[in-house]
Amino acid sequence: MISVRGVRKAFGAATVLDGIDLDVHSGEVVSILGSSGSGKSTLIRCMNGLEKLDAGCITIDDFDVSRPKELTEARKRSATVFQLFNLYPHMTAVQNIALAPVEVLKIPPKQAEADARALLESVGLSARADAFPSQLSGGQRQRVGICRALAMKPRYLLLDEITSALDPEMTSDVLAILAKLASDGTTMVFVTHEIEFARTISSRVVFLDKGQLVVDLPTAEFFAADGGMAKPRIAQFLSKMRKD
Amino acid sequence: MRYTSFTSYDIVLLAQGLGVSLALFLATTIIGLLLGSLWAVIRFYRVPVLTQIVTVFAELLKNSPVLVQLFLVFFGLPAFAKLNVTPVEAAVITLSGNTAAFVYVIAVSAIESIGRDQIEAARVFGLSRWQVLRHIIAPQAMAFAIGPLTGLLVNQLQVTSLISVIGVVDLTKIGNILNLRTLKPFVVWAMVGALYYVMAKLIAYGGATLEKRLRAHTAWKGL
Repeated sequence: MISVRGVRKAFGAATVLDGIDLDVHSGEVVSILGSSGSGKSTLIRCMNGLEKLDAGCITIDDFDVSRPKELTEARKRSATVFQLFNLYPHMTAVQNIALAPVEVLKIPPKQAEADARALLESVGLSARADAFPSQLSGGQRQRVGICRALAMKPRYLLLDEITSALDPEMTSDVLAILAKLASDGTTMVFVTHEIEFARTISSRVVFLDKGQLVVDLPTAEFFAADGGMAKPRIAQFLSKMRKD
Repeated sequence: MRYTSFTSYDIVLLAQGLGVSLALFLATTIIGLLLGSLWAVIRFYRVPVLTQIVTVFAELLKNSPVLVQLFLVFFGLPAFAKLNVTPVEAAVITLSGNTAAFVYVIAVSAIESIGRDQIEAARVFGLSRWQVLRHIIAPQAMAFAIGPLTGLLVNQLQVTSLISVIGVVDLTKIGNILNLRTLKPFVVWAMVGALYYVMAKLIAYGGATLEKRLRAHTAWKGL
């Protein structure tokens, strides 16, 4: 379980997260919605230990991400897919995927490479396995990013606006992969602006506004007229997103 | 009566001088590369105290003439530290330190040119600092640095000629000896210059070849 308790994070005078409480149980798909600057990406960065918390605590399977000794274990259990891919440009797709399994999980290189190729095949990229990131399209890079995360065999997948840099066609390719992962029971926390997709695959929806968690509801309730939609801020946000 | 004609033994002399210059260049390059890279890593990881020491030391070495540094080591160490150094030892110490200072600057900028997002990604996947340095930072920093490093090494090769003033019998010193004997400065110095030129071109060629290989992933195919 990912447990977020009373998390507060500020950058200078700007408070980005203000007392966030959230639990993500095994098998759940939790979408985090909110406008730009609401703290969604910072919450993901706090979950994977990239940001130090000012207050509160985040644990992943009881490993506290704020404690350096426990952070490594927490990171072995979760994997992140980034908005701008963050691939290593000097490595091929296969090498990008196999690096962490070899170095962190101590999987033999040949085995890790075979696993990486199998993952790439599962996302339709077997022909591009030996290409460098600069030789791949945005959608292909993001699929490599997803494979890189899956290669760690994580219990939890953290996804930070992974389709925001992609065109609609590439977005649908990537979302199809996520839908398959969700149907396979992969636990996911994803920050997204794809409202309809969030509605389709999420078990819960969390809405952040100005660093505060406004609602945390099962998906059906979130989108119901007398549920999340009853809150003016959420109704306004969803209406704006649908127009866009 | 002076014997001013060239002899076949002069080729041996030139080859010896060339060997000394090359050996000193290679030794000081290796030491300088290792030392400069180590200083850059210290700076990258913001190691307390050591970072400040390294920064000040590199500043001093970068911003003072190599000849002054050479005199300080050769004449200064025996006088102040009661350490006697041979001309070759003084040359190795000075040129290694000077090379390290410039390697440090190049390595720091090469490291800082690597996107933080990649380092964050590697850390998130559980790679240790050492693994990040080895697999993510070093290969890319090398690719960024190889161009400026090649330029630096070509320059440092020319700088080795300064060591002849403290008595190291390098290529320049041999040139001086031949010049004094033959009284044919244009021929002697043209020959010495040509040998430095060939060595410099070889370094530049090696650097370009290595750069091409290291930057294969960003190969620019043109418009």
